Amino acid sequence: MSIHFTEERQLISFDKSFSANIRISEPDKYKILEEISKRSEKIINVGSNLSYSPLGFSKDSLSVKLRKFNRILEFNEKSKEITIEAGITLIEFLNFSLKYNLWIPQLPGYPTITIGGAVAANSHGKSCAIHGTIRKSIKKILLFHKDYGWINLSEQENKELFDLTIGGLGLTGTIVSVTLKLTSLENSEFVTRKKIVKSIEESKRTILKDNKKHSFIYTWNRADSLKSFGEGIVFQNEVQSNSNIFKEFKESKNHFYPSFIPLWNKYSIKIVNSIFLAINKFSKNEKKEDFLSVIFPFYGKERYFNFFGKKGFVESQLLIHESKLDMFIDEFKRLFKNYEPTITLFSLKNMSGEQKYLRFEDNKICITFDYVYNKKNLNFMSMVDKLYEKYDILPSIIKDSRISKEIFRNSYNKELSRFIEEIYKFDKKRIYQSEISSRLGI
Amino acid sequence: MRYLIIGASSGLGRELANKFAKENNNLVLISRDERDLNAIKSDLEIKYNVNVNILSLDFSSLEEVNKKLLSQNNIIENLDGIIFPVGMMFSEDNLNLDTDRMNKLVNANFISIVHTIQKVKKFLLKKNNACIIGFGSVSGYLGRGINTTYAGAKRALESYFESLAFDRELRNINIQFYTLGYLETNLSFGKDLKLPKASVRKLSERVYNNKNLKFEKKYYPSFWQLIYLIIKIIPFSILRKFNSE
Repeated sequence: MSIHFTEERQLISFDKSFSANIRISEPDKYKILEEISKRSEKIINVGSNLSYSPLGFSKDSLSVKLRKFNRILEFNEKSKEITIEAGITLIEFLNFSLKYNLWIPQLPGYPTITIGGAVAANSHGKSCAIHGTIRKSIKKILLFHKDYGWINLSEQENKELFDLTIGGLGLTGTIVSVTLKLTSLENSEFVTRKKIVKSIEESKRTILKDNKKHSFIYTWNRADSLKSFGEGIVFQNEVQSNSNIFKEFKESKNHFYPSFIPLWNKYSIKIVNSIFLAINKFSKNEKKEDFLSVIFPFYGKERYFNFFGKKGFVESQLLIHESKLDMFIDEFKRLFKNYEPTITLFSLKNMSGEQKYLRFEDNKICITFDYVYNKKNLNFMSMVDKLYEKYDILPSIIKDSRISKEIFRNSYNKELSRFIEEIYKFDKKRIYQSEISSRLGI
Repeated sequence: MRYLIIGASSGLGRELANKFAKENNNLVLISRDERDLNAIKSDLEIKYNVNVNILSLDFSSLEEVNKKLLSQNNIIENLDGIIFPVGMMFSEDNLNLDTDRMNKLVNANFISIVHTIQKVKKFLLKKNNACIIGFGSVSGYLGRGINTTYAGAKRALESYFESLAFDRELRNINIQFYTLGYLETNLSFGKDLKLPKASVRKLSERVYNNKNLKFEKKYYPSFWQLIYLIIKIIPFSILRKFNSE
């Protein structure tokens, strides 16, 4: 092939922590994918580049963007199975599957994320306590590797590699297509109920108690001051019981344009949180919500991210056992008192599954914090990092690009060693490398 | 309705296949790589419930065009239109290109198109509102140092489509010819182009909506028409001087 199909471009991670001028290719034919892979020494795969951490690029790797591999290859309504190419976005996939009242419940939080990206990150949705991560919906994967060519992966075929690839951050090769087991969804409208809570302890009790009753249950808590710390709301989304006719979702362009100056600060967060809580206290306890606002809460509300400005933000997502949560929160609050960090978001939800390799998955509680990017917050976070070992906490490297190699190694421990051993067994040259994988020594 | 799209596996061809299928038309798709064709066939049949036939062949080989496409009467007798978003390029295409590759370029970009039209037009004449849609390139405006043979073939194709439009016998067939500027496809990916690339999705919609019009010769994006007029007005001696500098 005489045409090169690559260009230089600057890519920035979603959290704005890292940018680089990289080489990128957007193949639209199988032959071009093979050709560009053969010509490149180091490769990494990029979906919509909406990962918080720089997982889809590195200055030494060719980023392969499979956005044009977005076709439906097989669909069987009876057996509820679909094979789709990795570049299809969640909204494109849902616009097809929901016509048949089918979907997968383990959807990450933004509709223009690609299926390939969701598989590589082993994504989870709001209902991860019941439905687990996307791993549970994956039947087969078609992988392309620069040296080994086309490889079919499933529980029956190349099982080890199948296991490494799900949640493997695109380090085993290029995920080209995925076969998913679909789940019925009778209605694409939801009823949202809420409960006002006074503390983290009460939030925890509520989400653990109603865990099996409501598939979508999560909290929003305040962390804008020590005084109001933990006050918040527990939200429960339930699928409406009557059936409805699915109307296709309109796709809009991403609206991620950071504001010129950061608008999130101690005062603005306190004001917005107080208003949000007051509105929820005095509004009806139950309301109907459409699919997009329940499953993709930031779709149309991109201003939340834009308000962090060009410096961006840091999201810390942690898995902790319920028995250790209260003690961890106590220590967190002690550090909070000293450092006074600026936290824009604090949320809890349940998760289920088995922690293996690099996967952010376990039968634990998932805590999320969003921080404004500044020195004080980074110092605070590095103090919190030190609590991970004590409380057996697993941090997400997909969300938190700041995590050091040491913290990462201590937290993922044996599973990381197993992953590294297995991946080197498969690919001695370690061809597929991202900024994060190089930084963390994977 | 059933349309034949040649060069359907990527870029404009793929968008046209998607648009025509979305509007409930059956398709016959031609491209070189069977894997791409199979993926497009599955996608369109599953999404739009239409019938898609695929033929994998090299359009720069007249032998393959005859053997794999034009010998299949069940396909060519039942078409309502043929669309040629096909284009072959070599980065080595200059004044010194070897004859083998020159032949390939002329075949893929001109002779195979003309040959196919000549064989299929008698069947299209029997249909109401049949169409033949061709695509030229702004590279055919003026002689050039790169894509030399490609540009020559595209200029010849434009002339051939004008001839089709003049033919009284073909008055019942809707003929359109689009002269294309830079498009958002893999052919322009990574190239430092001075003018913007246009959306293939919008172009495919325009082509679909215009398919029942009588002879139309259009420029896409339309500002290229102005550039074309300017080039035509400037004396060749000045263009030559400007170009050699």
